[in-house]
Amino acid sequence: MSSGRFLDNSLKFDWVFMLVTFALMACGVTLVYTATVNEDAVFYESFWFKQIIYFVCGCVLASGIVFLKIDWLKRMAVPLYAVSLVLLCVVLFFAGDVVKGAGRWIDLGFFKLQPSEFAKIAYLITISYWLSSHPVSLRKVKTFVVPFFLFIVPFALVLKQPDLSTALVFIAVTYVGFFFAGLTLTDMFLLSSPVLSVLFSHSQTTVFQVLWGLLICAVVFALVRRRLPKALTIFFLAANILAGYASSMAWNMLEPHQQKRVNTFLNPMSDPLGDGYQVLQSLTAIGSGGLTGKGFGNGTQTNLAFLPEEHTDFIFSVLGEQFGFLGCAFILGLYVLFLWRATSTCKLYSDPFITLIVMGASTIFLFHILVNIAMTIGLMPVTGLPLPFLSYGGSFAMTCMVLVGGIICMRYQGRRQ
Amino acid sequence: MFKATDSNYIQNRNWSVLVFMCAVLLLFAVLLLRLFSLQYTHYDENLQRSENNRIRKVELIAERGYIYDRNGIVLVRNRPSYQIALQAMNLPRKKADRDSVFRRLLRIKDKDGTPLFDSAAVDTAFQRSNWIKNRPIRFLEDASQEQVAIIEERSSELPGVITVIESRREYPYGTLASHVLGYTSEISEEQLKLPEYQNYSQGDRVGQKGLEQGYDQEFRGTNGIKLVEVNASGRELGLVKGVESQAPVPGLHLVSTIDLKLQKVAEAAIPDSAKGALVAIDPRNGEILAMVSSPRLDPNIFSLKRRERNKGWAQVALDSMRPLTNRAISGTYTPASVFKLVTAGAGLENGVLSETKYYSKPCTGGYQYGARYQKCWGTHGNLNVVHAIRLSCDVFFYQAGLDIDMARINEFGRRFGLGENPLGVDIPGEKGGWLPDSASFNAKNKRLGWRWARGLILNLSIGQGQLVTPLQQAVLVGSLATGKGVYRPHFMKELRDFNGNVVKRFEPEIIRPGNMKPETHRVLMAAMDSVVNHPGGTGKRGAVPGIRVGAKTGSGEWKKGEKTHAWYAAVAPLENPEIAVAVIMEAAGGGGAVSGPIARKVLMAYFGKEDEVKK
Repeated sequence: MSSGRFLDNSLKFDWVFMLVTFALMACGVTLVYTATVNEDAVFYESFWFKQIIYFVCGCVLASGIVFLKIDWLKRMAVPLYAVSLVLLCVVLFFAGDVVKGAGRWIDLGFFKLQPSEFAKIAYLITISYWLSSHPVSLRKVKTFVVPFFLFIVPFALVLKQPDLSTALVFIAVTYVGFFFAGLTLTDMFLLSSPVLSVLFSHSQTTVFQVLWGLLICAVVFALVRRRLPKALTIFFLAANILAGYASSMAWNMLEPHQQKRVNTFLNPMSDPLGDGYQVLQSLTAIGSGGLTGKGFGNGTQTNLAFLPEEHTDFIFSVLGEQFGFLGCAFILGLYVLFLWRATSTCKLYSDPFITLIVMGASTIFLFHILVNIAMTIGLMPVTGLPLPFLSYGGSFAMTCMVLVGGIICMRYQGRRQ
Repeated sequence: MFKATDSNYIQNRNWSVLVFMCAVLLLFAVLLLRLFSLQYTHYDENLQRSENNRIRKVELIAERGYIYDRNGIVLVRNRPSYQIALQAMNLPRKKADRDSVFRRLLRIKDKDGTPLFDSAAVDTAFQRSNWIKNRPIRFLEDASQEQVAIIEERSSELPGVITVIESRREYPYGTLASHVLGYTSEISEEQLKLPEYQNYSQGDRVGQKGLEQGYDQEFRGTNGIKLVEVNASGRELGLVKGVESQAPVPGLHLVSTIDLKLQKVAEAAIPDSAKGALVAIDPRNGEILAMVSSPRLDPNIFSLKRRERNKGWAQVALDSMRPLTNRAISGTYTPASVFKLVTAGAGLENGVLSETKYYSKPCTGGYQYGARYQKCWGTHGNLNVVHAIRLSCDVFFYQAGLDIDMARINEFGRRFGLGENPLGVDIPGEKGGWLPDSASFNAKNKRLGWRWARGLILNLSIGQGQLVTPLQQAVLVGSLATGKGVYRPHFMKELRDFNGNVVKRFEPEIIRPGNMKPETHRVLMAAMDSVVNHPGGTGKRGAVPGIRVGAKTGSGEWKKGEKTHAWYAAVAPLENPEIAVAVIMEAAGGGGAVSGPIARKVLMAYFGKEDEVKK
């Protein structure tokens, strides 16, 4: 045997990971069922049944992916990336002709391809492939050039669609990728400090002013410790201070109605008649679930159709209303278990490519989970990111299953050295 | 390049994975904390909100603006209308329960024993309730007080059935000025796709035709929103605390230039069985005082219940008399002898004609032009320009037209509002006329193979062949009489907000120069005067005692063997013109005999002599 995968029993299969994934899928189908129980439809046309079909297709797809060779994946990285860019351009520039229906899909007749979902996966493979052989370091700014260009093209195309939340997924993947390709925690802090500066200085209250001051101190401390090249040191300091002042200056230059629009986006509850309406209903639904929930099928908010998009983006509210705090904690527990098993896959091997793929896939899951749940409980702006395994929807279910297949593939195909 | 076996790398990597998982746990802890606060700390208030009261967003429809006449009399207003509707959210969830609500509804009878509801309408509403969740679905429009009372009484056994109060348009004078006012109806699919309707949404009522369409944006106002708590059967309990409602801003009221008294007289003068139009305009500023297009339609039918509305609509839409067309602005007719004023004016202006010029060939009942013999309608002898207009002699104008040439005649006509460009009146549907010259004549008749020939000038110089709208005709005589320019004809005098403050006034605007030499003006006025006030004038039936009226008659030939279109265009008083009136009656006969008396009635009413009309 050329590969050692049959020599070590523990490498063959991760039953915990498998079971957790199936448990999440089962919860998803159940939730979709209770959210849409009122629609009078024959069972094979109902949402929950379609969701089962999507998952079954996804499992078949994932099983296929498990048998892909890692070398083959590395070879395919660039072609896949190119194809994804072409598809993104097609959906963007020929929307009127090639694409039927609005927006982000290409209709292939039997299946609606969503290029941004495909691009997530292709980008993950490509950036992992590049970073696995070209680690980055803040001391050598040149190392960031290629990753930056790899990142900026799909990011800009998705942002242009416009699909802000999916574009942010690309940032998250890149960010975590850098962390596993040579950057230290201090570096990560420095990289994110300008964003924090904008956040802290945006509101001109004393608390935030103090926080911003502390942040600048921390940046200075980190810079001193890291002993970066002079130019870079100056760059980070300037970026932070500029970001801080520019954001508050730009803020003051906005017209009041523009300020209101930004505020509504950041805090939907400030406009309860507009965007906040959805969130208000979602908070009421979740809050009224209490510790143990109202019980399966008893969600009044859900059933009276007060919740918008209850089977897609706001599925977590359905969970919160019917199964309460315990139900939510249970699902969050499953997610932690899922992410733990996924991330520990990479510890089995020393191949950086495997690490990057596994951590990138985990990041995609984590980002969707965080943004979606934070949205339904009113901590974040309302964006359109679905909740992995729980939200209804074919395209995203496929993406999730491809990623799961990829993680298992890494475990199955990796070589111990 | 990583060294794959580098234990340092592996150690670092494993540590990073640990950091990642710690971050996951930390972030999830934040989520759990927030969930705990929602589901435990604030449990009671959230439960209360979701169990006992339900929050609903209700759109507050702004009151549509009214239309007044120039003296402040209401021409269009709103009336409350009760609708019985389904609120899908409050219908029972189980299909069996919904069916029993359906059956109960059908069993309800009024005191005469007839069922209150049409089963087909109720059935449609129940079907639509499967996908329309957030707005009421009407199944009985314009319900009576009695019907509303019956439904309110039984509200407990009819969850999901609600009554909605809406305001509907009401036109107290029925068909009066119906083409000017327009009507409202639900916005159509086609309109929703147009850019000018981008702020509208499905189900909105929108103005169609007339002022209702022309000033729809102003009438509409801005809708408000309120958040209300409702109980389980959909009845409102009150506003949600701590959330301010957005009050609706009522639409603007429009004070129109229409004079109700004059309009009434004009409407009475033209029977609904006849096809015709009348325009009365103030030539000093372009205010339209009255506009009639016959036959009329009753805009009230568009505010009725669906079935009656459809019936009424079918009637007007299929009528061969085309009552939907506003003939006063979109009907184009040949101007007939009224155009002789333009020919004469162009001649005087260019020195071809003068008060002392007599043509060598007297009117002997016709005129020989080449191989063609063009008839006149009488035998008038030797005439100057004033006599020729008074008697409306064709032979004089055949010769004058040949001398002046079409280009100069058309140029003079355009100065006074004739021609292809519409005058820009502020209601939709206005058409332009046509002043043919050789180029446009050839272009228009290319398909028929007709070519321009000099002989056509004979027809055109007496007004056979051009196209004008009745509005253009009124504007023409009005601006000829004032000689101070053509003002944009309009209906909007001012817009007022709901407190009565004037928001906007119409500023008179000169759109055509309308200038001529004083001598031209003097001769034309003398001619128009003699048409009415000379014993031999063709328009003497339009005379108003005590007022110097100037006018010109016309009888437009449009089809061989049919009666002519009767034109009459008058302006008064000639020394200081205040009102110009144009009347056309389709296929009714001679202008002076048929349309003259109609214009006379309007002028009599304007000058406060309506009692003398009765004598």
